[in-house]
Amino acid sequence: MMKNSRLIAVLLLLCLLSPLAAQGQAESGQQKEIELRWASIWVGNDSKAPAVEALVKEFNTKNAGKIKVVIEPQPDYNAYEQKVRTSLAAGQAPADIFTIKFNPTTATFYQSDLLMDFQGKLDDAWKSTFDAGSLEQSTVDGMLKSLPMETAILPIWYNMDALKSVGVNTIPATVQQMYDTFDKLKAAGIAPTSQMTGDTNAWTSMIWFSHFAVSLGGPNVWDKPFTDPAFVEAAKLIKKMIQEYSTADAVGLGAGGSGGHFLAGRTAVFSNGPWYAGRADLAATPFFDSIKIGGLPAVGEYEGIMISRLQANICAASSKDAAKEQAIVSFLKFLTSPSSIAKIAETSGAMFAIKTDYRPVNNLQKQFYDVNAAASTTAFDLEAALGSEVTLEFAQQLGALALDRISAEEFCALVDRKIEH
Amino acid sequence: MQAVGIRNRWIWSARILFLLPVALLFFFFFIYPFFFTVFTSFTSWRGIGAMKFNGIKNYTKLITDPTFQKALRNNIVWALSQGLIQVPLACLVAMILVRKPFGWRGLRTIYYLPNVISTVALAMVWVAIYNVDGPLNAILSGLFGMEKHNWLGNPDTALFAVIFQTVIYIGYFMIVLLASAMNIPRSLYEAAEIDGASTLVQEINITLPMLRGTLITTMTLAMAYGMRHFEATFLMTGGGPAYATTTMGIDLYLKMDALRYSEASTSGVFLIIMGTLVITLLRKLFGSSDPMSEMAQ
Repeated sequence: MMKNSRLIAVLLLLCLLSPLAAQGQAESGQQKEIELRWASIWVGNDSKAPAVEALVKEFNTKNAGKIKVVIEPQPDYNAYEQKVRTSLAAGQAPADIFTIKFNPTTATFYQSDLLMDFQGKLDDAWKSTFDAGSLEQSTVDGMLKSLPMETAILPIWYNMDALKSVGVNTIPATVQQMYDTFDKLKAAGIAPTSQMTGDTNAWTSMIWFSHFAVSLGGPNVWDKPFTDPAFVEAAKLIKKMIQEYSTADAVGLGAGGSGGHFLAGRTAVFSNGPWYAGRADLAATPFFDSIKIGGLPAVGEYEGIMISRLQANICAASSKDAAKEQAIVSFLKFLTSPSSIAKIAETSGAMFAIKTDYRPVNNLQKQFYDVNAAASTTAFDLEAALGSEVTLEFAQQLGALALDRISAEEFCALVDRKIEH
Repeated sequence: MQAVGIRNRWIWSARILFLLPVALLFFFFFIYPFFFTVFTSFTSWRGIGAMKFNGIKNYTKLITDPTFQKALRNNIVWALSQGLIQVPLACLVAMILVRKPFGWRGLRTIYYLPNVISTVALAMVWVAIYNVDGPLNAILSGLFGMEKHNWLGNPDTALFAVIFQTVIYIGYFMIVLLASAMNIPRSLYEAAEIDGASTLVQEINITLPMLRGTLITTMTLAMAYGMRHFEATFLMTGGGPAYATTTMGIDLYLKMDALRYSEASTSGVFLIIMGTLVITLLRKLFGSSDPMSEMAQ
C-alpha cells in the first residue's frame, strides 16, 4: 500500500515536471524572444496614444520572435510619477522603458544605477537626430540617463472671437495694449485671463509668471536668487493678473477649472502647451478656429523669449543582460527615429526634441511651430528650472499673495527659502 | 507523561504554524517599515543613492518649519472636530433613531450612504458646491443677500469648509452607536418612566452612561482618523491656499513628492507619535470606562 502511494506520488511529480522540461528543451532549441515592458503614459485618451500603439505594433512585427515591446498603460500621470519614484527608491526599475518629466527634482534619478546611461550607447548618427540643446539639458555630471523626447513651448492662447467682440483684432503687442484689451474684456463681462493658484504647481499662472520673469530678468533669470527684483516685479504682475484680470475663483482653482473657463468661453486668454491643442473638447468650441497662439508683450527689457520645457524624457532600465540592453537601444532608436517622431507629431500636434521634416498643416498646431521658430530664444519655465518643491511653494504662496496676505517681496523670500543655493 | 509532552509540542507547533503567516505579514508590512521609517528619519536620503546619518537634524528642521507647524495645528483641529463634533452628532442621531421614529430605517440608510460613496467623488461634489458660482453661494446669496465667497480659496474659510464636509458624514459612528444603544435593556427605560423621568432625563441618565464605552471607542477612532487625515483635503485644496488646510499627512506626501524621503520619514514618525499620544491621552482620561482597558485587565 505504502509502495503504491510512493509510486503514484513519483508519477504525479513526473507528470508535473515533464511540460517544464519540454518547454526548456524547446527554448534552448530556438533564440529566446526578449520582452520589453514599457510603462507608457501615451495611452487611452492621450493624443499620442494611437501613433505610439501603431509604432510598437510595427516594431514588434519587424522583430517577431526576437524582441517584443509590451505597453503597460499608465493613464494617470500623477500615479505614474509616484510609481517611478517609489520603484526607484525600493531598488527596482519601474519598467524596462519609462518616461520622466526632467527637472532638478527628477534629475536625482540619475544617481540610481538602475537607469541605463545612454552616453556610451548614443552613436554619432543617433545623436545627430536629437536637438543638441535638449541633449545638453538632459545631461547631468556627464551622464545621460534619459533621452529628451517630447518638448513643449508654453505660449499664451488668445480667443480672437472674444477679443474681436470688444474691438481688438490683433494680439496685444505692447503692455499698454494688453491692459487696454483686458480692460475692454472686463467691461464686456468677460474675465480676461484664466489664472489659478491650485494644484501642486499653479500651472497656468506659473506659465504667466515665467513669461514675466524671463522678460524682466532674461533667459538665465532662474540662476538668480528668487529675491531678485525681476522676480519681485513678476510677482507684482501675476498678482495684478489674478486680482484684476481673472475669474473670481482663481485662488485655489486647479488646472481643470482654469482650462474649463477658457473652453467655456468665460475667459479670453489662456496658457498651456501644444498637447492641449489635440483635445476634443477644444475642437468642439465655437471659437476653435479663431484661437491665436503667441507670447506676452515684453514687460521687461528682454523681448521675444518663448517659455519651453522638456516635457517627457525617456529612460531605460540598466541590465546585466547585454542582449536585453541591445534590444532596448534598438527599440529606442526606432521610436526616436525622425520617421517615427513625425508619425506621432502628425496625430498629436506635440513637439519633440528629435529633428524631423514634419511641419503641421493643422492651423493650431502650425502656430506652435511658427511661434517657436519666431522666438529669439527659449527659456525654461519655473518648474522645469527649479524643480517641484520650489514650484509647490510658489503655488501655495501665490494664493496668499493674491489675497494680499503677503507682499511680493515676502512671496519671493518664501519661495527662495525652498531653493537649494 | 511522554504522550502528553508530545501532544503539547504538537499543539504549540500547530499554534506557531497558524500564527506564522500573519506574523510574517505583520513583520514585513508593519514592523519592518516602521523601523525603516524611524531609521531613515535620522538620515539624509532622497530615495536614491546612499543614506547619510545626520542625527536629529531632520527633527529640528521639522519642528521649526512653519509649514509643519501649520500642519500640526490643523491636525489637532481635525482630531478635535472629528472627536468632539462628529461623534456627538452621531450619538444624537443614534439616540433619536433608537426610539424608532417614523421612517427610521430609511434615515439610517441615508445617514450611512456617504460612507459607501468614494471619497474622490464626494470631494469633487463639494468642490463644486463651494465654488464661487456654486450652489452654496447661490443659496446664501438668495436667502441672505450674502456676497459670493471663495470658500476653498480663502485661508480664513478653507479649513472650516474642508472639515465641515467630513464632519457631517456621521453614518459610520452613528451605526456603531445605534447598535450599542439597541442593546440597552428596555426595562431600564420602563422603570424610569414609572418613576416619571422625561425622555431627556432618560437619555442623560440611562442612554449616555450605557453608551460611554462605545462613545470612547468611537471618539478614539474618530480622533485617530483626524490625526491621519489626508484624502479629502488633498483632493479639494492640495493643502492650500498658503498651507491653510495642510495636514501632517499632506506634508509627508509632498515631501516624498519632492524626493525628500528622510524628511518625509521624520514627518511619518511625528505622525505616529502624535497618534499614539492622542489615543493614550484619551484612554487616560476615560480609562476606567474604556471597554478596551477593561478587556486588557
